[in-house]
Amino acid sequence: MTEYAFAPLLLLFPLIGVLFNALFGRRFVQPALYEGEDQEEPVAHDHATEVHVDVYEVKTEAGEGVDVDHEEVDVHVHDADAHGALDQQHGEIHNDPTGERWSGWFASLMSLSAFGVAVALFFSLMGHDFHGAVVPLFDWFRIPAADFHVPWAMQIDTLSVTMMLVVTGVGSLIHIYSIGYMHGDPNFSRFFTYLNLFLFFMLILISANNYLMLFVGWEGVGLCSFLLIGFWFDRVDDDGVPMNANAARKAFVANRVGDFAMILAMILLFWTFHTLNFNPIFDEAIHLFEEGQAVSLFGMQFSIATVLAAVTTLFLIGAAGKSAQIPLYVWLPDAMAGPTPVSALIHAATMVTSGIYLIVRSNVLFEIVRVAAEAGDVFPAPTLVAYTGAITALFAGLIAFTRFDIKKVLAYSTVSQLGFMVAAAGMGIYVAAMFHLITHAFFKALLFLGAGSVIHGVEHGHHSLHDHLQHDDLEPEEHGFDPQDMRVMGGLRHQMPVTFWVYLIGALALSGIFPLAGFWSKDEILAHAYNPDYGFFPVYIILTLAAIGTAFYMGRQVKMVFFGEPRHPAAEEAHESPSIMTIPLIILAVLAVVAGAINIPYIPFLQEVPDHPHGFNLLLEQWLEHSIPSFHLSAEGLLNMPYKPPVFSIFVGALSLLLALGAFFLAYSVIYGKRPTEQHEEDPIREVPVFGPIISAFGVLPLDTLYMRYLIPGFNRFADWAAYRLDWAFWHDFVHDNLIRDFFVGFSRFASDVLDDRGVDGALVEGSARFTRAVAGVLRLTQTGYVRNYALGLFLGVVVLLAYFLLVAG
Amino acid sequence: MGNIFVFIPLALIALTAAVGTVTSRNAIHSALFLILNMATLAAFYVVLQAPFIAMAQVAVYAGAIMVLFLFVIMLLGAEQLEGVVARGRAQVWLALLLGIGLIVSFGAALFVADTPSANEGLLDVIDASPVAVGLRLFENYVFPFEVTSLLLLVAMIGVVVLRTYEQRK
Amino acid sequence: MAEVTIEWYIALSTVLFTIGALGVLMRRNAIIIFMSIELMLNAANLAFVAFARHLGDELLGGQIFVFFVMTVAAAEVAVGLALIVAIFRSKQSINIDEVNVLKG
Repeated sequence: MTEYAFAPLLLLFPLIGVLFNALFGRRFVQPALYEGEDQEEPVAHDHATEVHVDVYEVKTEAGEGVDVDHEEVDVHVHDADAHGALDQQHGEIHNDPTGERWSGWFASLMSLSAFGVAVALFFSLMGHDFHGAVVPLFDWFRIPAADFHVPWAMQIDTLSVTMMLVVTGVGSLIHIYSIGYMHGDPNFSRFFTYLNLFLFFMLILISANNYLMLFVGWEGVGLCSFLLIGFWFDRVDDDGVPMNANAARKAFVANRVGDFAMILAMILLFWTFHTLNFNPIFDEAIHLFEEGQAVSLFGMQFSIATVLAAVTTLFLIGAAGKSAQIPLYVWLPDAMAGPTPVSALIHAATMVTSGIYLIVRSNVLFEIVRVAAEAGDVFPAPTLVAYTGAITALFAGLIAFTRFDIKKVLAYSTVSQLGFMVAAAGMGIYVAAMFHLITHAFFKALLFLGAGSVIHGVEHGHHSLHDHLQHDDLEPEEHGFDPQDMRVMGGLRHQMPVTFWVYLIGALALSGIFPLAGFWSKDEILAHAYNPDYGFFPVYIILTLAAIGTAFYMGRQVKMVFFGEPRHPAAEEAHESPSIMTIPLIILAVLAVVAGAINIPYIPFLQEVPDHPHGFNLLLEQWLEHSIPSFHLSAEGLLNMPYKPPVFSIFVGALSLLLALGAFFLAYSVIYGKRPTEQHEEDPIREVPVFGPIISAFGVLPLDTLYMRYLIPGFNRFADWAAYRLDWAFWHDFVHDNLIRDFFVGFSRFASDVLDDRGVDGALVEGSARFTRAVAGVLRLTQTGYVRNYALGLFLGVVVLLAYFLLVAG
Repeated sequence: MGNIFVFIPLALIALTAAVGTVTSRNAIHSALFLILNMATLAAFYVVLQAPFIAMAQVAVYAGAIMVLFLFVIMLLGAEQLEGVVARGRAQVWLALLLGIGLIVSFGAALFVADTPSANEGLLDVIDASPVAVGLRLFENYVFPFEVTSLLLLVAMIGVVVLRTYEQRK
Repeated sequence: MAEVTIEWYIALSTVLFTIGALGVLMRRNAIIIFMSIELMLNAANLAFVAFARHLGDELLGGQIFVFFVMTVAAAEVAVGLALIVAIFRSKQSINIDEVNVLKG
């Protein structure tokens, strides 16, 4: 399709950013490393390693009273302060501010360019009546024998373009924010390399037109997630445990479980449809379902719905891994070890939503299973999806109640909100899922970036404190200072007014307060679940409870962070972040306010009944219906599930608004209002009768503990058994040594002693020699050396020949 | 082809000479017997109307060659050796057996096989005078004749080389 | 009167040849062996001349061949006697039973 020929630019721009920062980034950011490059390049590398090694010493060296005025040298000390101080002190490596700007802005520019391409695609789609297209780039591979062909092509339709806009838009803002946040980090350019690389893979995931290409992006973003969680892989905690590296590994391993299910699902799809391309699979699935044809797998006949039930269940497991659903959510809270912009971009706004994208993209398969399950034919995978999401939403929300780490609260909140989206997708309201995905991307990115701003400010304050106070004056616990602990904050609304206001907006939006974006998107899901026609009333109950919880812990967080009196000197010293960080926050805050407008539903008494085939006039609904085929199928009755757009329910909306406001207020003024929690103090909610113990139970018994206490030791024992018994004792000692080696040695001995020595050497080589010698021993007797004997032989020949000629031949 | 009364005495003389040649203990005697044998053969050649060959036989064989033999015998003083017959009984018996076999074969062939038909009536007298032989030699057999000259040359060189080699050693 | 036929000559030639051959095979004296060889050549010559007469060859093939045999014999004797002299020089003997350096 020539009209979308510019689509590959979408992937090209982030790739250029990756190459630029990977190849030249460090040269810009730390030119000192390269100054003597021509003469003594190895020294430059020595410097680089020295930095990593010396990081561990900085805490002790700081005790020597290094007099570095951070204010004057304009080093914004935060997470990366250790490096900055060290660099100043050694005078060897420090980031060049201009170089940082080059590196960071180039990456941001590439991200913005990708956003520009996404916008262009958006208008291009509008210009073509929303008709999407597949833009082929090249043939990835082709196996004629297996009738298998995977193209590398981009699916341009309203669904993918929506995701592109969100990913590149939010991504660009976070890029710009990161320029300020990562200032002074010795691996500044590496950060932007990963960020661009993440965008690249995320856009591959979104723009894929087949499951395999989607899987490439899926794994690629997993890799970037791993790299970015472990960005500060050299940090160790007080016990010397490299917690960041461990967190990265945990995320990677947890995702493997889901990825394995994805691979199985793809194999099933390929066996069934002999292709992995989206549109052919969907068309063929509908066709087979209508015809009632059976599919032959493993030599048995299955109905198409049975196969798809398996596929969709596997998709659920894959999505549970990537989108942090029960039981695989455990990696996401730990993923907060990464820099805060990463948490905002990857672990809140974009990557973790790819599981939802997968389900929405595969909506036809889910709807077929749903229809078949209605008839009781197959396992109801979509219902399982809905309940998984709902239970995750509630479960994670309850865990968030007792967290003190500002980012951990947001992390569990993210798990919870992802649960809302998965529940929506499971209930078949894909547009609502996408709607919540979009609004969540805005306000959760806003909250994370705001939290980053807070952390940045508190840490900055903490270091100002260090400079003003003598070290002897510091209290002992200062060494365990955690700038992410909400108990050291308080009263920050005065020090950080911009951050406060945008954070408040984000918190209210997340809590679902009218008329912010979260209200509309959350209530669309709740209204659908509430509708008794669909049989999801339990989901409604669970989700409402989760929504109450959301409002409660957000109220708690806002109270603890921004109100009251500062509970630590560091909070008093905190300052507002630079404008390069606050401007993206303001933009996101605006979006968090207005984003609900894209799908403001039909309100009966405010609007005329719209003249539309499906009876709805929602913007996003109309936009996405072009790429969610099950809408059309249901309209045509093929799937016997007439699609009804979610109708705004005043009862549901008002109820959830009231509950949210109540919970927010309860947390804000009743439970946490009077007694601001100090460090090392129990959370007051634990003292609330009945409710407190339940919350505490959730606090101490998450799945994580279950895994760590039972699953991991069991696995370790199994691995131990496999390594020492199965592999070493049985496989190595017995099979290798006794069976294979001994047999081989025996055979070799036979070959060398019997076959070679006696056979080849004895019989063939020496035997032929002996035979020759024996024959020669006889024949040499004829060689007497006497001429007469030879003459006799000659005469014999003459006589015989003459006799022959004379008597016989004659 | 000659009268039987000429043939038989001549044949007896030839055979006697031949046996004498072979059996004489003294090499000088052998040589003399051989000369006798060759002279007898020369007589046969005359009978068989081959005067040139007869003359050549006497001159070259009985004359030049046998003189050479006698010369060498006397030069080396090798007239006599102990034991006429070689050692090795098997060798002797086998030789005798083969000799008998040869004679028997020929004898049988003479009685059994067709001998080429004689054309005596056609040519009672053939012209084998030295002039005729010379003409044949230089007309019909000039190439082999020239080759013999080469042969003789090679023999001469060979003898010279043999002597030179001896001396150098 | 009884005319001698070719068969007579063949018989005589055969006997002479056989005597020569036996001489070669049985004598030890190298010179006598050599002379026996000459005897064999002469036996063959006789047969040639007899056949030449018998067949009445215009071209005198048999006689001319004898002529060539004589030439070859002369050359042979020259070389052969030279060899015998050479052997005698090294071995101080012309007994061929003492010459067996080619014994295998």
